[in-house]
Amino acid sequence: MRSIRVIAANTFREAVRDRVLYLFLGFATLLLASSKLFGMLTVGDQSKILKDMGLGGIQFFTMLIAVMMSVLLISREIDSRTVYFILAKPIRRWQFLLGKYVGLLATVLVNLALMTFMLLLFVWAYGGGFDPRLMLATGMIGVEMALLVAFATLFAVLTRPILGSVFTLAVFVVGHVSEDLWLLTRHLPGSIGRGVVTVLYYLVPNLERFNFKTEVVHGLPIPVTAVLWAVLYGVLFTALVLFLACLRFGRRDLK
Amino acid sequence: MKRGIIALLVVAILLAGAVTAERAMQGIDRQDPLGRHLLYLPSPEMLRLASLGNPGLVADVLYLWAIQYYAQYQPHDRFLYLEPIFNLITDLDPRYDDAYRIGALIMELPVTEEAKNKAAVIRLFDKALRNMPGNYEIAEAAGWDMYIRYRDKAEAIRYFEAAAAMPGAPHRLERFLGVWREQGEGWSFDDALAYWREVRDEAESRYDRTMSERQIYRLYAGHDEERLDPMLKRWSTRHGSCPSSWQPLVDAGWLDEVPKDYFGHPYRILPDSCSTMGQDEAHVN
Amino acid sequence: MSEVQLRVHELRKTFHPGLFERDVEVLKGLSLEVDRGEIFGFLGPNGAGKTTTIKAITGLVIPDSGEITVAGHRHDTMAAKRTIGFMAENPYLYPHLSGREYLRFSAELLAVDRGEIGDRVAAALEQVSMTGAADQKLTTFSKGMLQRVALAQALLGEPRLLILDEPMSGLDPIGRRDVRDLILEQRDRGVTVFFSSHIIPDVETVCDRVATVIDGRVRGVGAIHDLLAREVECYELTFTGCEPTSLSTPLSAVHRSSDAVWVRVEAEHRDTLVRELADSGARLVSLTPVRSTLEDLLVRQYEEGAAR
Repeated sequence: MRSIRVIAANTFREAVRDRVLYLFLGFATLLLASSKLFGMLTVGDQSKILKDMGLGGIQFFTMLIAVMMSVLLISREIDSRTVYFILAKPIRRWQFLLGKYVGLLATVLVNLALMTFMLLLFVWAYGGGFDPRLMLATGMIGVEMALLVAFATLFAVLTRPILGSVFTLAVFVVGHVSEDLWLLTRHLPGSIGRGVVTVLYYLVPNLERFNFKTEVVHGLPIPVTAVLWAVLYGVLFTALVLFLACLRFGRRDLK
Repeated sequence: MKRGIIALLVVAILLAGAVTAERAMQGIDRQDPLGRHLLYLPSPEMLRLASLGNPGLVADVLYLWAIQYYAQYQPHDRFLYLEPIFNLITDLDPRYDDAYRIGALIMELPVTEEAKNKAAVIRLFDKALRNMPGNYEIAEAAGWDMYIRYRDKAEAIRYFEAAAAMPGAPHRLERFLGVWREQGEGWSFDDALAYWREVRDEAESRYDRTMSERQIYRLYAGHDEERLDPMLKRWSTRHGSCPSSWQPLVDAGWLDEVPKDYFGHPYRILPDSCSTMGQDEAHVN
Repeated sequence: MSEVQLRVHELRKTFHPGLFERDVEVLKGLSLEVDRGEIFGFLGPNGAGKTTTIKAITGLVIPDSGEITVAGHRHDTMAAKRTIGFMAENPYLYPHLSGREYLRFSAELLAVDRGEIGDRVAAALEQVSMTGAADQKLTTFSKGMLQRVALAQALLGEPRLLILDEPMSGLDPIGRRDVRDLILEQRDRGVTVFFSSHIIPDVETVCDRVATVIDGRVRGVGAIHDLLAREVECYELTFTGCEPTSLSTPLSAVHRSSDAVWVRVEAEHRDTLVRELADSGARLVSLTPVRSTLEDLLVRQYEEGAAR
């Protein structure tokens, strides 16, 4: 456990000292600030626009941070020689990989927390009051990102940095349209086709399960069971992907 | 080997857990005023930008999605945004023929009052004619929809007049208009047959060809029923029961041969009602 | 009898670059043993399999077959890894850290006691003469400075086996001298040093024993002078009082100076020539064996391997 903590702390420190991170944060802040302008164009409730843009922007920038930082912090390290000095020490490969994952996830979650705080501030400042449910929406974005970072870690182990980032992005996109795969299963002729698509549907993470933005923005009730199952789903899927990553990394030659 | 089995077991357990959670969530009803997929329906301008030069492709994807979405039975209020969606599709691709026709078809579905929205159908067809001024097929389809679904002869004639006035429009359109104006509600069997034969011969798509074949079949079937049903009733009255086949009538000289439908299959005799039915009813339906 | 610190037995490794590319067999049954407390040189041309062997020992590459033990433990166990200090060729260290931070990070990974970390890091920096630059970011370091820090992190855990891959590569003469001295100092402390190099003078200066690696196999192993003693090809003799043209023994070279004659003779004819000189009344001034250098040995082994 000490090894994982040490690697995670070093990874987090590396992320914090990287200028790229501040670029993303800067853009996110700009987006939040400018959402007030869009709110001015609407008739009626301005805070709805602010919340919509804020939550959408937070998800987008958190995803970008997850994808880009995973290249810098994980893929690049596995591909370069920095990893030699670490793995020659008494540390198991899975401990190294988990440490990198935890460090990267901590980076993403800290940024998410910062952006959530800014959103709450902006919404309150522009007359929307304090809406704690915004934190639920962003919290579930955090669960979504935990799963996405796990995929980024898996791809870092499987392939080159650039390809890994492309695949991670693809998982994000496909994960948000996987519901349509489910619709497809009901319209395909033949049981073999339906069976194949059904299997594909369950293998692709359904990232929409973590999406509570609509309910939060419209003030609709959120079933507690939906949240709890979503968290469990995220945890299990994340564990599965990380396990596969550790399995593969354990057998990989570092050339 | 042992490590491999343990690894497989761990993967299986985690995957099973994830699948269980996913299936549990499928059963949880979540409120959504506009349908989860519709909250962030963007403007056509924005989508056109985002499509990076592929607005037609985006229109295709939206159209496919719309077909799937409206084929479901849930949510019940999914027709609320039917018109904006098809407007979005046809704004992205103003010459998307199918989107106009199928959009109108969905709007005409007798599912909810919102769905049966004649004004919205007319708006969609008029938009089609604005964007495709020479497309007589759309105008012709609009005319038929107005007449068959809504029995609105005035609107039907308006569309047929528009269609007949377009360069390259087939002669049947003028002929049909002439007949309809003269004869009011109905038109003769020969007029109708000539009209649908011309539609079939000039059809460019399999869909249109099938539709017109269906109309021709029905014309013949209806015409033959008018002739054969009274014959069966007379036989039933004379002999005390409905004939089980046509042969007795042929043998008695009432018919020259066993009557066949448009596709060459003998008509069936329904014993309960002692009436005629074509064997290909299911086929054309 | 000396204890075996590192044992490699029949190590084989083939790399599979890709679907449409040919497999590359790098190690073809490599075996060697390193005794405790010695400096063992691992010599060979580029592509011989030196780095792959070292990576297999340190667990960076997984061998297809063969056995590796470190101080009696299997090489991939934590017990083995705790005894190893490793320095890779052309070290690439975390640029966002300073030298001191990097060593602290390494010490944490080595599970050094929290209270001891500061002292150990300071001592390691002192050993490699990097105390002054310790708080600068590694991104500002020259290659030589990076190499020193890399060496320091290898020493942090007070290893019993130091594995160095091309430790002097890219260093200036002073840097190389420092590394050489450090290696000798470690040997004096009882640490076994296993280092690979393709720079022969470095190996000749410090190593107790050497293994030559050609084409994935060990071609020769032993103390340098033993290896080379087997390779005396000819002798050089200086004498006076005799005309070389009068000698019947075949000579491969003859050189006259004002007061003496210098000749070279094949090793097999040495005794015949000495007898002939004695019989002719000549006075033998010197008799010197001409040995191959380590470079000659390596080149010859390489050419023999290529011919096969």
